[in-house]
Amino acid sequence: MGIDLELLQTIGPMLFRGLKVTMEIAVIGILLGFILGSLCGYALQGRNKIAKGIANLYVWIMRGTPIVVQALYVYFVVPEIIGLIKGERMVLDPTLAGILVITLNAGAFISQLVRGALDSVDIGQKEAGASLGLSKMQIMIHIIIPPAFRSIIPSLFNQFIISVKDTALLSMISVNEITRQTQNFVMRTYKTIPGYTVCAIFYLVLLSVLMIVQKLVEKKIASK
Amino acid sequence: MGNTMIKVNHLSKAFGDLEVLRDINMEVSEGEVVCIIGPSGSGKSTFLRCINQLETPTSGEVLYKGENICDSTADIRKFREEVGMVFQRFNLFPLKTVLGNVTMAPVLTKHRNKSEAKEIGMELLKKVGLENKAHVMPSTLSGGQQQRVAIARALAMEPAALLFDEPTSALDPELVGEVLNVMKDLAKEGMTMIVVTHEMAFARDVADRVIFMADGYVVEEGPAKQVMENPKEERTKTFLSRFLNQ
Ligand SMILES: Nc1ncnc2c1ncn2[C@@H]1O[C@H](COP(=O)(O)OP(=O)(O)OP(=O)(O)O)[C@@H](O)[C@H]1O
Ligand SMILES: [Mg+2]
Repeated sequence: MGIDLELLQTIGPMLFRGLKVTMEIAVIGILLGFILGSLCGYALQGRNKIAKGIANLYVWIMRGTPIVVQALYVYFVVPEIIGLIKGERMVLDPTLAGILVITLNAGAFISQLVRGALDSVDIGQKEAGASLGLSKMQIMIHIIIPPAFRSIIPSLFNQFIISVKDTALLSMISVNEITRQTQNFVMRTYKTIPGYTVCAIFYLVLLSVLMIVQKLVEKKIASK
Repeated sequence: MGNTMIKVNHLSKAFGDLEVLRDINMEVSEGEVVCIIGPSGSGKSTFLRCINQLETPTSGEVLYKGENICDSTADIRKFREEVGMVFQRFNLFPLKTVLGNVTMAPVLTKHRNKSEAKEIGMELLKKVGLENKAHVMPSTLSGGQQQRVAIARALAMEPAALLFDEPTSALDPELVGEVLNVMKDLAKEGMTMIVVTHEMAFARDVADRVIFMADGYVVEEGPAKQVMENPKEERTKTFLSRFLNQ
């Protein structure tokens, strides 16, 4: 029943293999999500009605559906539809599907952050830029984006932590991340209590480390 | 006094139903210093902002060296490179150092190389008495120092003229002088300036001409001494006497 050395020797390597997958998905997902979210956030505060409409639709769908359903949809339904169109069977790699889900999810949240941050840059600075003869593009790149980006770094990090936790749901679509690894271990060994306990502690340590890094980042920004 | 540099013809501006400027006419020659005075809400800032198109006039035209810059085909960026602006609230870029604030626009718009821009930037900071603050962030400076940086930033574009919108109104009284002194030096060097101000002594002593605005109209304009000491219009008299009694 207990957590002994033998158990740790079996589950340990599995959890670290899972950790690699979890971090890979979360890191790539948050980076792609940042790109997607920036584009959508830009569209949301811009004047182009069509771009704004598309961005709003996307955010609405992401906010209005559970992430598990999104994962199932991306993994099972999307290949099926593509298969029907192309007339051949298609399989999506689970990790790839996982990255896609995390990207779409983080992107929706980040787009809201970006919209708010771009809007909140002091109009006086934009006017100062304009009065110096800068183009709209130069004002965006050199005057609006730097303080906007800086202001969302803490929230971005927060979203990263949420994304790391969200990857656990990807066990539903057989992504071999930490939770899935634990399930495999428990199914093989029937050691339910120690298995999931070690898993929970593993997550707790991982997320605590990330939270400490977050605090350090926040302090660094505030001190500047 | 040189040729006409900026000429404003029948300029009007409304925000929705609110008419803020009504048929304003003005001419500024090269090297001239024009001060605009008037009560709060009379449209002074709006007028200045219409000149460099931060606001789009409802009607009328602004000619710069003969070219109407309100025209949709006019190169407004070129105009803004040549006619700089200094704001009431400084509007420095908070993430750039003092020197970075001064060098940014010339590097971007005039494609000046960085080291040359820095050299010129240091010269300008020396001119406004802040060469020892070149590498600090603007937020560590006093209001008066920030405004002097803003002036150096505008000068870095080598402008033909400068617009000032109440450059000392956001400052503690003891910091007003250092900014006005920089502006006086510019006037002496022959910089063309349009200055919206509540500093009546500055208007009287430094300006060539003073324009008194109220309710979106130019009520009175003339040589500085005359408008400030012997105003013709009743409204100008009332306005100035209120200032003298403060
Ligand atoms: N963007 C705007 N939208 C609507 N009304 C505006 C706008 N900008 C200015 N106004 C109005 O136009 C009028 C003139 O404003 P303006 O700022 O030009 O006056 P001012 O003479 O500069 O006053 P002050 O001495 O207080 O700076 C005011 O009634 C103001 O409320
Ligand atoms: Mg004003």
